[in-house]
Amino acid sequence: MWRLTLRTTLARRARLALTLLAVVLGVTFATGSLILTDTSGRLLDDQFRTATAGVDLTVRDAVAFDSAMGVEVTRDPLPANLPERIAAVPGVAAVRPQVRGQGLLEVDGTAVVPSGPSVLASWVPPPLGAFTVRSGRPPAADDEVVIDEDTARAHRIGLGDTVTVRATDTGRLRVVGLAGFGARGGLPNSTIALVTLPSAQRLLRLGSTVSEVAVVAAPGVAPDELRDRISVALGAGYEVTPSRDIAAAGAAAARDQLSWLQLVLLALAAAALLVGAFLIANTFSIVITQRTRELALLRAAGATGGQVLRSVLGEALLVGLAASTVGLGLGVAAATGIRNLAGAFGVPLPEGGLVLTARTVLVAFAVGVVVTVGSAVGPARRAVAVAPVAALRDAAAARTGRLRVIAGALAAAAGLAATTAVLAAGAPVPLLGVAALGAVGGLALLGPAITPILVRLVGRPLAAAGVTGRLANESAARTPRRTAATALALALGLALISFMAVLGTSVKSSVRQSYAEVITADHVVESARNEMLGGLSPMVYDRVSRLPEVAVASRLRYGHWRDGEATQALTAVDPATLPRVASLHFTAGNLAALDGGGIVLAEHVARDRGLAVGDELPMTFSRAGTRSLPVVGLLRDGDARALSTDYLISLDTFARLYSEEMDASVLIRTAEGTGRAAAERAIKAALAETPTAQLRDQAAAVAGRTQMIDQVLGLVTVLLMLAVLIALLGITNTLALSITERTAEIGLLRAVGMTRRQLRWMIRGEAVLVAALASVLGILLGVGFAAATVRALGRDAPTVLAVPAGRLLLVLAVALAAGLLAGLLPARRAARLDVLAAIGTP
Amino acid sequence: MTMSTAPAPATTVAVQARDVVRTYGRGDAAVRALDGVTVSVPAGRFTAIMGPSGSGKSTLMHALAGLDTVDAGQILLGGTDLGRLTERQRTLLRRDRIGFVFQAFNLVPTLTARENIVLPLTLAGRRPDAEHLAHLLATLGLTDRSRHRPGELSGGQQQRVAVARALVTRPEIVFADEPTGNLDSQAAETLLGFLRQAVDELGQTIVMVTHDPHAAAYADRVVFLADGRIDGELDAPTVPAILSHMARLTAPAATGGN
Repeated sequence: MWRLTLRTTLARRARLALTLLAVVLGVTFATGSLILTDTSGRLLDDQFRTATAGVDLTVRDAVAFDSAMGVEVTRDPLPANLPERIAAVPGVAAVRPQVRGQGLLEVDGTAVVPSGPSVLASWVPPPLGAFTVRSGRPPAADDEVVIDEDTARAHRIGLGDTVTVRATDTGRLRVVGLAGFGARGGLPNSTIALVTLPSAQRLLRLGSTVSEVAVVAAPGVAPDELRDRISVALGAGYEVTPSRDIAAAGAAAARDQLSWLQLVLLALAAAALLVGAFLIANTFSIVITQRTRELALLRAAGATGGQVLRSVLGEALLVGLAASTVGLGLGVAAATGIRNLAGAFGVPLPEGGLVLTARTVLVAFAVGVVVTVGSAVGPARRAVAVAPVAALRDAAAARTGRLRVIAGALAAAAGLAATTAVLAAGAPVPLLGVAALGAVGGLALLGPAITPILVRLVGRPLAAAGVTGRLANESAARTPRRTAATALALALGLALISFMAVLGTSVKSSVRQSYAEVITADHVVESARNEMLGGLSPMVYDRVSRLPEVAVASRLRYGHWRDGEATQALTAVDPATLPRVASLHFTAGNLAALDGGGIVLAEHVARDRGLAVGDELPMTFSRAGTRSLPVVGLLRDGDARALSTDYLISLDTFARLYSEEMDASVLIRTAEGTGRAAAERAIKAALAETPTAQLRDQAAAVAGRTQMIDQVLGLVTVLLMLAVLIALLGITNTLALSITERTAEIGLLRAVGMTRRQLRWMIRGEAVLVAALASVLGILLGVGFAAATVRALGRDAPTVLAVPAGRLLLVLAVALAAGLLAGLLPARRAARLDVLAAIGTP
Repeated sequence: MTMSTAPAPATTVAVQARDVVRTYGRGDAAVRALDGVTVSVPAGRFTAIMGPSGSGKSTLMHALAGLDTVDAGQILLGGTDLGRLTERQRTLLRRDRIGFVFQAFNLVPTLTARENIVLPLTLAGRRPDAEHLAHLLATLGLTDRSRHRPGELSGGQQQRVAVARALVTRPEIVFADEPTGNLDSQAAETLLGFLRQAVDELGQTIVMVTHDPHAAAYADRVVFLADGRIDGELDAPTVPAILSHMARLTAPAATGGN
């Protein structure tokens, strides 16, 4: 039986090629995602391990948490005498103070702005320092700098050139060396400037303090033991951490920033596989229908039901194994492709050799084989049900079972109920995901029953176009199970695309709306890089606020805090000036009350936490530890969103709780009688020495806030196209198979005078019809769930549904055009059928 | 019958084959299905083509109907040389000037009986002549069946629908390929009666390929084929005459072969 299975599979290789392709694409996507995330993780691990390779322990200022939302917290500097005190501890072999901060490089008057950090650090020779000089020499004098090779190459900086480093202070430094990091020429998406310790202290205005102290244990002294000794010697307030822990924490924080991407990729891989599964099931059921005679013959010749079942499943297993192998190979290529794609959408991922783990291989095969075999189970069981006498009869068209209709209706009803629960009863938003699953499951089950009705409805324009269109409609309606599965696969991809488009547009337009309502400032200055904490030098505020053209300048700062396990963000504002550049609406308390060290909450936060003015909110800060802040006011949700977070404190409170010296936005009101152009000129001139600071109008400020949405939207849409591609292959596949099935009919049509052209249009018409059906279902489903999600989100901040009609029409047009494309090949094949041979086919 | 009887003069030729050769396969495996066939089908008559299996009768019909091309010789259909037509022209010729009745799978399963009947007209973008269509439906006993799909019709009814479709375009010639092959004897009699009636009352030219002497006896003339060659003709055939001719045909063919 096994040999028969193998031979059948091989004999039908053309028929199975497309099925194979569907599995291959799904597996490719899944493995590509895994390889990419593994690779990013490994590269980040390597990077952080290299950074601390030569060091046993690091002494830093103690904090409550290291990093939040992937951003390392700023620690207070260490006193100048600390290195000496550490060196005095027995068992310490070497001590090296280090200074680290941000310093923007400027070459020939042009700022070098990487998408990652601009590192300014004191030079520490290896092995304690992670950087090695590749050419030239280390910095010796205070006007000398070593920069990383990658940056030097990219910006044509040579030894002996002069560059400007802008930190808290600015210095013009001579390049005396080029450094590498481990085996690389620098750090990904960063610039590195290494200077002498005094020079770094001066540029960062640290006086004689240092950022951290690297410690090497004497031979024979265990680092853990040394750590305890140093901790005891220094007392509280300092943190002595083994380097490997720092490396692990750093890598974890960096990986944290990419975790959403991994989630998105895996979700998309799942979607691709789901679409693939539909197609595989479809192909197998068609192939089995066509093989009914053959199977019946086998049964008649004495094959047991079990043997037939095993034969069909064996075929699926072979396909699954083959597809997984190919998919795994392609996944490696896909990983690079996705990395480049992510980079193109502004989500840089670390570059380096790809990592293929045993887990990825296992997942690839498990996914490919399980999906294929699982999808073949239903058709295989139907194959067993074939009675031996069927060899002499044509198989009757399968009717949709009543059980299936009931199950489908139940699933759809459950989806509807879950949606209602979220919208009306305030159930948690993730329940919408369950609702979506219910709806998709329900559609999958109901598909065969409702497809004929839908086909006739959607296909009306086609039917009006003539008999070829009518025939296309009829043949789609005739095999509802097959049409439904093919259309649903495509609908799923289109639903996700429309969902993302509607949700993204709605959130963006809502952000824009609140911002326009609340922020009354004439101008905004923000960092061009849209760093998580703003990234604007305080110098900007100092300069801009002094301009005569500026009546009021008010700044915002962001900070992270811990709320139990969750990380939250807050906004620090100046209660005195903010009302003049923003129109805030309090439902309780007022802004001025912030001066007492309290906090203002967005209304929905107060509601969810059950807090009112006068209550206290416990918050954990990295530097200050856990504090309870009194609630002094409640702010309208939309206003809070315009200020980016749901928690407001005063800048004074911020200064007591945080050591970060970085503004997020400077909101500006121009002086009476100053023209817009004159004000812009003056502000731009004041920003000359802070190249990353950008003067923005309202649209640009909103764009900066919604950039992430655009990035994710763009990336996800492009990746979803892959799922759509798989689904389109499904249309090609289904049509090709159904043409084989309809050979005699096609022969007849040709014999009685259907021209090749008419025949081609008939097949293409059917393809377009399936695409149209899928588009209608998919777009309705996507927009429907996006509308529900938007309404649910509206509970936390006013969110209005914005339907990007143009974009959805584009999706529709592309889907229809793609359907036409998917029909080309089958249409050609059908037109090429030999009339005589076709008539002769039973 | 309101139709005027218009027996065409026997001298008019509807379709003719001249020295037609059709070879399948190449080299040693080559089979000459038609080996220099010359035959004329008179207009307004019912002609049957008979011969044992593999004699080339279906190939000849396909060639005469423009379903297949020939390797040598000429097919002239009412003055049109089929060999000079493109594939598309041959398709249009089939649609507008020829009617077909096949042994099986004559109908598109998704279309109703009426839609199947008018299919060649619909494909041509023409409207059926309502009177003509009603007449055909009535004659063939299909009036109350016109809205049914093929699956809801008996085998005999399906073949009658096919006959109606073949006649609806008022073609120059109708080709029937074993039209009664899948029918019981009573249904077969009825169908053959209709074909006969179409010839007698409408002056329709019909060519029928069959291996059934009873069916062939309905024809005006039987052309016999053996090993790809014409091997005798029989006018006003009777079943015994056909049987005896067939017996003569098969005997040497079984032992012969060059």
